Amino acid sequence: MAEFICNLKRYRLLKDLTQEQLANLVGVRRETIMRLEKAQYNPSLKLAVDISRVVEAPIEAIFVFD
Amino acid sequence: MKKNPLFWAVLVSAACMLLSIGASLLFNEGRLVYPTDLSAYAFRLADLPMILSVTAVVLSVVAFSLQAFLTGRRRQRDPRRTRKISPWLGLLGFLGLLGFLGFWTYRLDGTVTPCCFFMFFGFFGFFFEGKLSNTLMDERYQENVRRAQLDAFKAGFALLWVVLLVVGHGPLWGSLELTAVALSSAISFALGLTLFLSEYLLYRYDHDESVEE
Repeated sequence: MAEFICNLKRYRLLKDLTQEQLANLVGVRRETIMRLEKAQYNPSLKLAVDISRVVEAPIEAIFVFD
Repeated sequence: MKKNPLFWAVLVSAACMLLSIGASLLFNEGRLVYPTDLSAYAFRLADLPMILSVTAVVLSVVAFSLQAFLTGRRRQRDPRRTRKISPWLGLLGFLGLLGFLGFWTYRLDGTVTPCCFFMFFGFFGFFFEGKLSNTLMDERYQENVRRAQLDAFKAGFALLWVVLLVVGHGPLWGSLELTAVALSSAISFALGLTLFLSEYLLYRYDHDESVEE
């Protein structure tokens, strides 16, 4: 899996969303959001775009690849 | 608990069938109970109760099964979620022990068919499928399903490869029949192992962080 830094937690808290709420908004399980925040799961482009729209932040700011 | 009317229909027609079997044995020379040559069969009025009760049982069982199937499909409403089953169904895996009957029946009359029951060991996978009941199948879940199935198939094929390699050296214990017994047992077991591993690994990948990547 490609190594990356995930800033999702920061953007999610800025929008005052829980993991459960964000998961429901983008149609995945809470566990998936949890893995994403720990950078243990590489999301599909669609999921990355959906998250980016929900938290209103650019994809490259949420997922930072070296 | 209120029972389905069709359930009672099956019970009543089964009871009628038992009565008509009794009547047939007592008053109708056991016709239709003992093996009958249907090409030489001539209808008698006394056969009527049993013919009617057998027809009623068959029709009610078919209707009951059809209704159960349709109800099950209706309950499985959300296609994005896994099916709801009880982990207790995993106990069905013990049916795999029936495979050992094959060794007994082979010695008795040369039958090896029961060896195929080793495949039922795969039902142990229902335990893990039950634990993942009604789970939302998001992209990570589907990715894990593919990964688990791939690893399970690899393990199954590796086992088959080893078995075929051993069998390829010639008859086991000098007997071609014993080789057939070993081969059918091993292939059935490999299939069961694949079925079990796909569910077990999916559960592990979905829950256990240490196995992730």
